[in-house]
Amino acid sequence: MPDADPIPSKGAWTRDTIVALPPYSQDDQHKNEFLLPIIKEQLEIARRNNRQIDNYFSKQGIEIDAIQRLEDVPYIPVQMFKVFDLRTRPEQEIVKILQSSGTTGGTPSRIPLDKATTLNQIKALKSILSDYLGERRKIFLVIDHEGINSPQMAFSARTAGVRGLSIYAKKIFYLLKEEDGRLSLNMPVIREIVENYSHEDVYAFGFTYIIWTIFYEQLKKEGMRFSFEDFTLFHGGGWKKMQELAVSKETFSDTIAEVFCTKRENILDFYGMAEQTGIIFVDCQHGNKHVPTFSQIIIRDPFSLEPCDIGKTGLIEVMSILADSYYDQAILTEDLGVLVGVDDCPCGHKGRYFQFVSRVEKAEPRGCGDTFRESGR
Amino acid sequence: MITCHLMEGKFETRVCQGFDEISRSVDTCREALAAIPLDAIIKILDALGKRVLNNPDINTLPGVSYISLWLRRENLDRICRVNFSDKRYLDGFYQSETNVLMMAQPRGIVCHWIAANMPTLGFFSIVQAILSKNGSMVKMPGEYVPLILSILRELPEISVDHEGTTYSGKSLLDAIAIVTFEGRSTSVSEKFSLAADCRIIFGGSEAVRAISRLPCRDHCETIIFGPKYSFAVFDREYIESDGFKRSLDQLAKDVAVFNQMACSSPHVVFVEKSRYSVEVIASWLRDAFERLPGALRNQEISSGLSAKIINARARYLLSDGKNCVAPRDLGWTILIDQKICLEEPIQGKCIFTKEITSVDEVIPLVNHKIQAISIGILDPAKRDAFARQVTYRGADRIVIPGTIHDFTLPWDGIMTLNRLVRWVILRSN
Repeated sequence: MPDADPIPSKGAWTRDTIVALPPYSQDDQHKNEFLLPIIKEQLEIARRNNRQIDNYFSKQGIEIDAIQRLEDVPYIPVQMFKVFDLRTRPEQEIVKILQSSGTTGGTPSRIPLDKATTLNQIKALKSILSDYLGERRKIFLVIDHEGINSPQMAFSARTAGVRGLSIYAKKIFYLLKEEDGRLSLNMPVIREIVENYSHEDVYAFGFTYIIWTIFYEQLKKEGMRFSFEDFTLFHGGGWKKMQELAVSKETFSDTIAEVFCTKRENILDFYGMAEQTGIIFVDCQHGNKHVPTFSQIIIRDPFSLEPCDIGKTGLIEVMSILADSYYDQAILTEDLGVLVGVDDCPCGHKGRYFQFVSRVEKAEPRGCGDTFRESGR
Repeated sequence: MITCHLMEGKFETRVCQGFDEISRSVDTCREALAAIPLDAIIKILDALGKRVLNNPDINTLPGVSYISLWLRRENLDRICRVNFSDKRYLDGFYQSETNVLMMAQPRGIVCHWIAANMPTLGFFSIVQAILSKNGSMVKMPGEYVPLILSILRELPEISVDHEGTTYSGKSLLDAIAIVTFEGRSTSVSEKFSLAADCRIIFGGSEAVRAISRLPCRDHCETIIFGPKYSFAVFDREYIESDGFKRSLDQLAKDVAVFNQMACSSPHVVFVEKSRYSVEVIASWLRDAFERLPGALRNQEISSGLSAKIINARARYLLSDGKNCVAPRDLGWTILIDQKICLEEPIQGKCIFTKEITSVDEVIPLVNHKIQAISIGILDPAKRDAFARQVTYRGADRIVIPGTIHDFTLPWDGIMTLNRLVRWVILRSN
């Protein structure tokens, strides 16, 4: 972990100074103190610039001045990005709209980005990755096909991962190919890597389910393994399917570590979403996901919606100061997680740390109550 | 795998390979049940209601106090009279208005498929089979088996005297078998279906369709209590009357019981324009929800349902022209808008509240999926006209707030007991 920079004096906390800090250097209480005023300022702007957000605040009688804790910042459910335009800057300042289909398809989320937000997201991601990869650029292996990064592809969790993580790339290789909608090993590329880059520092990214069911399964048949001097794999997503296959996180890490001839600690699961691009919550060597300085997480009880105590499973709320152009200050996800601890992870990272539990199961109407629509007419 | 939890009056859990032995036992035991006069059966059931109410192990369980009310002799008498016109038809041939003698004979073995929305549903279904002197094989969700068994355990302890003869509750119990099995197993479901002289199916759309398609014997009668939708309507005079606020307490209770999972649970309340704005009415309804007993207000919900409610609230709060009144937790939710339509159920005590110019605007929304409409209409003529129109279009029950879940017959437009018997004749010489 990089050494902590000198802490700016109170009152000197701007978003830029916070993003420039080592990402896990600040204790939780201190972090909450400097994040709150920045978020409140952002909420004022959001409310001024977006009628829907103003509706949201006024109908609930929320006075931004009266917000005393991050827990009281109004969260917006992540699904609302599919229904509403949550832009908080004038339209002419928006340079790009991310459209994320998510992992389950359906209506995409729309995330409007201006220049400042994009820049903040890049800086933030770089800061997080530097903690795991150091400062030097490396060979980047994408365990997916090249088309996933093409501008024609709909933005998905897979695309976001590739694009986000490529900022540390010296050179990018795609280890899979796609033919007729089916993924398979890109053998010429794999051979090239084994022959020419085994002594390089390498990092890789892939979608957990794809790594297991396609990459690992086919590699096993080919009898191939890698051997790098220094290797880190970032992987995420698809845990529901992995649970169906009865593959635990531990089994996955051990098996894939063997494939790359590395230690289990270098197989890093992360949690993130397109609605909060720039922030990923990466596992430390103790299997805990850490929250960087410029963001916060709150685990909320699924009934009371109050923050959960340590050890209790609830809905994951993610908070951030990175975006000027849309409401990312507090987003309530449809994921379940558990707060493991605060400031005391044996890895040395400060702040809250948590574990992802599962996606929320889709609720189908139960019982004999049903739709009012008649069938067959 | 079939697990039998009750057979021939024995509360023993055992694994069975098929239903042959169970159906043979029920078929044999139902003869003794059929020989008991209906009045004696009603006396036994009345005594059962009193016993469950006095049993501290079960009287606090959800729905049990209602069972004891429902089992009162007067109520069961009324149910039988409504269904059979005269109880004597159940006990032997009896002169009808035509030239023939008529009797209501039980159909035989009733196979019940019980839905997972209401713990005591299986019990009501069993009692209806008993009142028509049928044997029962009941497939119910495993989580409800202990409750139903604990009620049925009281039966052998009951004996009643009727016209000089003593009758035991054991004869009723012996004609009931309770089973659990995986409903997705087609071969087991088919065997269960083929054991039936009559099938009673409770459930959602998918379950009802799948079970209905199972093979059955040619003479088998099928009674379906399928998926339905309910709502509430109040007219101006009613809203401006003294009793309206009290009715909102009843409406809140109707929404809360079964956490909106029943076909009789209201999902929308339409309020005719009055001197009170919809916001004021919503604030009264809010107070009514907050007055609910803790067990009804704070019912456990799945995290999936939490997400659904949170999303609905946010959609209404972000939108122009809509509003949401709700506490910080997910105890209840009032969603307000002006669109005159029915809304897809959310469940978990989410009630859509809509202002209308006239109750007549609701009539075109009614179709055959509508089970109950809870109405507050003061003028009897207006009330009658409204009821005629909505029932013509498909609604089954027009009730008043606080009674929407009362299990009265007909239910879903069906006289269940009547369907559970065969009307047979004896032409006199």
